[in-house]
Amino acid sequence: MARKKQLLETAETYVSVSMKVNGVPCSAKIEPRTLLVHFLRDVLGLTGTHWGCDTGNCGACTVIMNGKSVKSCNIFAVQADGAEIITIEGLAKDGQLHPIQEAFWENHGLQCGFCTPGFIMQAYWLLQQNPNPTEEEVRRGISGNICRCTGYQNIVKAILTAAEKMKR
Amino acid sequence: MQQFRWVGRPIPRLDALDKAVGRTKYPSDYYMDNMLWGKVLRSKYPHAKILSIDVSKALKHPGVVAVFTHKDIPNNRFGLFHKDRPVLCDDKVRYIGDPVALVAAETPEAAEDAANLIDVRYEPLPVVDDVFKAVEGDGAKVHERGNVARQTRITFGDVEEAFDNAEVIVENTYRTGAQIHAYLETEAGLSYIDEKGRITIVSCGQSPYRDKKEICETLALPEEKVRVIIPPVGGAFGGKDDISVQIFLALITLKTGRPAKMFLSREESTISSTKRHMAYITMKTAADKNGKLLANQTEIILDTGAYEGLGPAVLDVAIENCNGPYKIPNIDIKAKLVYTNNYFASAFRGFGAPQVMFAIESQVDAIAEKLGLDPIEIRLRNVVRRGDYGVFRNKIEGSVGIADALEKARMHELWLRRDDIRKTRHRPWIRQGVGVAAAVKGYTIGALPDKGVVGIELTTDGRFIIKLSSTEIGQGVVAAIAQIAADMLSCHLKNIEIKAADTSQTPDTSVTSASRQLYLAGNALRKASEEMIKKLITAFSIATGEPAYNASVSDGYVVSTSTGRRLSYSEAARILEEKGIGREAFGEYEVPRTTPIPGTLEIPHLFYMYAAAIAHVEVNILTGVVKVKKLVLLPDAGRVINPQTFTGQVEGAAAQGIGYAVLEDAKIEQGILRTINLSTYLIPSIKDAPAMEVIPIETTEDTGPLGAKGVGEIGIIPVAPAVANAIKHATGVRVLEVPITPERLYRRLKEAGQNTPR
Repeated sequence: MARKKQLLETAETYVSVSMKVNGVPCSAKIEPRTLLVHFLRDVLGLTGTHWGCDTGNCGACTVIMNGKSVKSCNIFAVQADGAEIITIEGLAKDGQLHPIQEAFWENHGLQCGFCTPGFIMQAYWLLQQNPNPTEEEVRRGISGNICRCTGYQNIVKAILTAAEKMKR
Repeated sequence: MQQFRWVGRPIPRLDALDKAVGRTKYPSDYYMDNMLWGKVLRSKYPHAKILSIDVSKALKHPGVVAVFTHKDIPNNRFGLFHKDRPVLCDDKVRYIGDPVALVAAETPEAAEDAANLIDVRYEPLPVVDDVFKAVEGDGAKVHERGNVARQTRITFGDVEEAFDNAEVIVENTYRTGAQIHAYLETEAGLSYIDEKGRITIVSCGQSPYRDKKEICETLALPEEKVRVIIPPVGGAFGGKDDISVQIFLALITLKTGRPAKMFLSREESTISSTKRHMAYITMKTAADKNGKLLANQTEIILDTGAYEGLGPAVLDVAIENCNGPYKIPNIDIKAKLVYTNNYFASAFRGFGAPQVMFAIESQVDAIAEKLGLDPIEIRLRNVVRRGDYGVFRNKIEGSVGIADALEKARMHELWLRRDDIRKTRHRPWIRQGVGVAAAVKGYTIGALPDKGVVGIELTTDGRFIIKLSSTEIGQGVVAAIAQIAADMLSCHLKNIEIKAADTSQTPDTSVTSASRQLYLAGNALRKASEEMIKKLITAFSIATGEPAYNASVSDGYVVSTSTGRRLSYSEAARILEEKGIGREAFGEYEVPRTTPIPGTLEIPHLFYMYAAAIAHVEVNILTGVVKVKKLVLLPDAGRVINPQTFTGQVEGAAAQGIGYAVLEDAKIEQGILRTINLSTYLIPSIKDAPAMEVIPIETTEDTGPLGAKGVGEIGIIPVAPAVANAIKHATGVRVLEVPITPERLYRRLKEAGQNTPR
């Protein structure tokens, strides 16, 4: 495991965490205050999960933890000890895009793309809960994620298209 | 209109694929072995004298490698117009985001802990938080030169005489708030020493060459020792036009020889980053009985905060656009840019135009109402058309689509149903209304010199690499350039590769701002393409002995029009290589410009984008909450290169416009920003973004690449006035201040006796 962030020799209070990320078991020693988002990015090098706000407002850090969508900036890595995590890097299988990723791409559901992994993970969870959502249900389902570029029109389109694709 | 193979088609952006799978590396995604983390200590006070800075405790903190102060900066003042900004503060701090010291440590936690151990002793000074007091001149000064950073007056005709002869005069004072960019990726980057010994900064930004210049000047480094790379950035909107982390990163690597990373927290970003200028605009506008605008007298004060940044140019754009897209024969504009301790204001999408458009478009609506004229009709009677002379007696030579946009708006079903919508009441406390606004803004940087270079390399396997310094900030410029290149070079889109924004590998394509990167880079690309095609044809002549005039390019081949013989691009590449002709071509484009009118820096522009917008709002008169139900945008931005990108740009800008109009309230109290994160500074979520309809008004700009203009900024500009005019239509109350928060609107409704449900 390529560790991006070093630990200080002198610090005393490290803790060990282990979790399964995208099916791969990982464990590391970290500072207890490490947030899950920083663990994924700085320790595991999974930079597809983005860090946007720290206050749970933007949703750029959304990942799936034990089957539920969570904002990984509002969870300490130690709270995820033993958990199964899915990040944006875990969606495409064998070089095949996940239908949600494909739909975001084709429908221009992104501009700068920084919020996109969070939206896709939230959509992934949403479509698992409700494979056949109405536009209103999609809007409600992603209202906890923020995009500053698109005005949301194409994000809604992309998720509705993905729902269709996933039925096929 | 000419049809193209790639241009004009809604092709999914190539770069968007990587973004959808989480593979794109943004400035915050770069890491290196043995890397340090940088953390800035920022001012606690909006205005204070620095008495001493003691870094000794911080230096002893475990994991800390270095702590820097102003003593480490050879040239500690920089700025694009006026060098008034310190890299690290020395004599004073001038706003609460001002940087005082910089820590480099082994971990981000150690850096942050050590920053808190730096002992800075301040002597607080009176806070200059009010532009009107600031200009009086007898109080505290933000800078030695005084609080008026720039002032000017522009007059044409005689407003007083026009006022005497007017049928109707409307005079109001408007206030617009400080908007925060709130790009989803905060400022970030990584620095290291590259294989050629250059200090290399991979960071957010909008202009690699300009950032490099500021790094070299402040740190006294020779040009060849510094390299700036700007990867795809997680949103910018003007907010990454000024320097943020770049000089800090360069400093750490310069002094320690080690790689360094910075990634600002949301709070630090919100406090320290630039903002949209707060504006105070008084406007006195006159018209004759037919609604013909006769005169407009305007006083604009922009609060630039602690430093000028791009403020002088923002002031120019406010001056240029305060008369809207109208022919007004008599104008008088007094404008001031004022220093305060409120924040640091600089570029933000629209660049001075959203502020003044809110004012003039409210004025025009008020005049229409007084005269009993239809709001669209009065605008059509006054709008500028191609070939007309503008308010500065400047001939409008570029394409002008505002009359078309307004005509289409007039026939839109939302506008036609306007009175029915107003009469419909689902609830006794809900009022509905529909409003319209027009907008204009110049693109290109006006009368300032502006040129850029684009390079094309033909690879040995017959593909093209386009090299340019445009930065991909989400707007889709890279994909749009690829589409244009594929058409110009007559090849498949997949054979175009873009290499962007690396000062060691790509030529200077000038700054990515002012909605003109597509225009500028596209035109430079056209020139480079012509050069490249000449080379391809030369190779063909060498290979076949046929004269050049017989040959043209077609879908990856040079083809003889008389014999039908053809040569593939890869064979051409081999011949060019063998004969030493070279496989590279460059094109330079200098944007045509005007002579600035006296009293200004860069206006008027030669080229303008236009738009009209219709807003449908629902107002709750008991709470003052405004819900924008629908927005229709009719932008004239020339030929559409990629319909998806075009529409996306306009919708995204319009969503920011809704935020500006009713939601985004940066609360600054005595120089202290109270809304420091996304739970207190609210930007539109999907609940605030209504259904939108974008109707492109496709004019063809003859000077643009394949007829294109710029589109980045125009979508935000008409939204706030359209919403305000819709609120007036719904409730009878005109609000003179944005954002139109529930508190503000409720107060106005109450004053007007309009808050009784019935």
